[in-house]
Amino acid sequence: MHIPDGFIDPKISFGLMGAAVAILGYCLNKVRAAVTALAPQEAFAAAGRGIKNLAGRSRRVLTKLGEQKIYAMGMVAALVFAAQMFNFPIDKGTSGHLIGGVLAVVLLGPFAGTIVIAAVLIIQSLFFADGGIIVLGANIINMAFFGAFLSYYIYVFLKKYILEWQSIAVAAWCSVVMAALATSLEIGLSGTFALSVVTASMLKVHILIGVAEALISVALIQVFRKMVPMGEGQP
Amino acid sequence: MKNIILLSILIAILAAFFASSNPDGLEKVAENLGFIDRGIERSSAMTDYSIPFIYQEGISTSIAGILGIFIILGLFWATALFLRKRAG
Repeated sequence: MHIPDGFIDPKISFGLMGAAVAILGYCLNKVRAAVTALAPQEAFAAAGRGIKNLAGRSRRVLTKLGEQKIYAMGMVAALVFAAQMFNFPIDKGTSGHLIGGVLAVVLLGPFAGTIVIAAVLIIQSLFFADGGIIVLGANIINMAFFGAFLSYYIYVFLKKYILEWQSIAVAAWCSVVMAALATSLEIGLSGTFALSVVTASMLKVHILIGVAEALISVALIQVFRKMVPMGEGQP
Repeated sequence: MKNIILLSILIAILAAFFASSNPDGLEKVAENLGFIDRGIERSSAMTDYSIPFIYQEGISTSIAGILGIFIILGLFWATALFLRKRAG
């Protein structure tokens, strides 16, 4: 669902770029706080830094768990990137591929998961010309914000009422449909094509692609948890 | 850790040989509705997941995919290294 440059009005593109930067900044701050801890005085003393430094600003240092978290983010990002390459046939002459938003947020929490999807989108755009440059903000909003961040809260809400794998499946389906709706809205508001027609056509395809997203997400989350035992879903 | 990386590489190679080459949902909608031409074709180091000088499509896409995986891993690894170094 990577929008190329040209589909979206530049004004909307830049607006969404701003929104994407704000959301990613917020998520990066949250993750930074989670993977670091205030440096304990002993650590400074051990490093032979003298007492004077302690009076200055407190420093945050990467924790052991935090370091593992960043490696886990890298692994999820690599897995999402590879899985996104696998286009599967959907309908006559149409294919779909995983977004992986729910996969990322279920394994890593909403903030790290959102950053992972955004990182994948940025690499795809810069190195593979998959998705435009000016519309990168729009793609991040569609797939990282709606597809990952917001979908996380659907997953959390559903988990109170139904089994975890069922929550993953429904949230994954919703993530694709929400991303498709957001994409349609952007294309419609840009005047590229009539909003109602784009929305109807996009929904028709992505209701099906969402089913595949649900199945693949449930399966890959199981596989990942088997292969990498770790605390789940901490932001 | 190693097995997730190997799994990703395996998926990328399988994708290179067996993935559907049909347009994805958005592209198909744009084709059907006739606004696909509004999209600006862009080229990049590995446009369309291929290495420019390797013409065997499956091999070309496999290598591009594996490179992509390592670019992404490198990005996160470098971040961890940077944060650790800064801590002293």
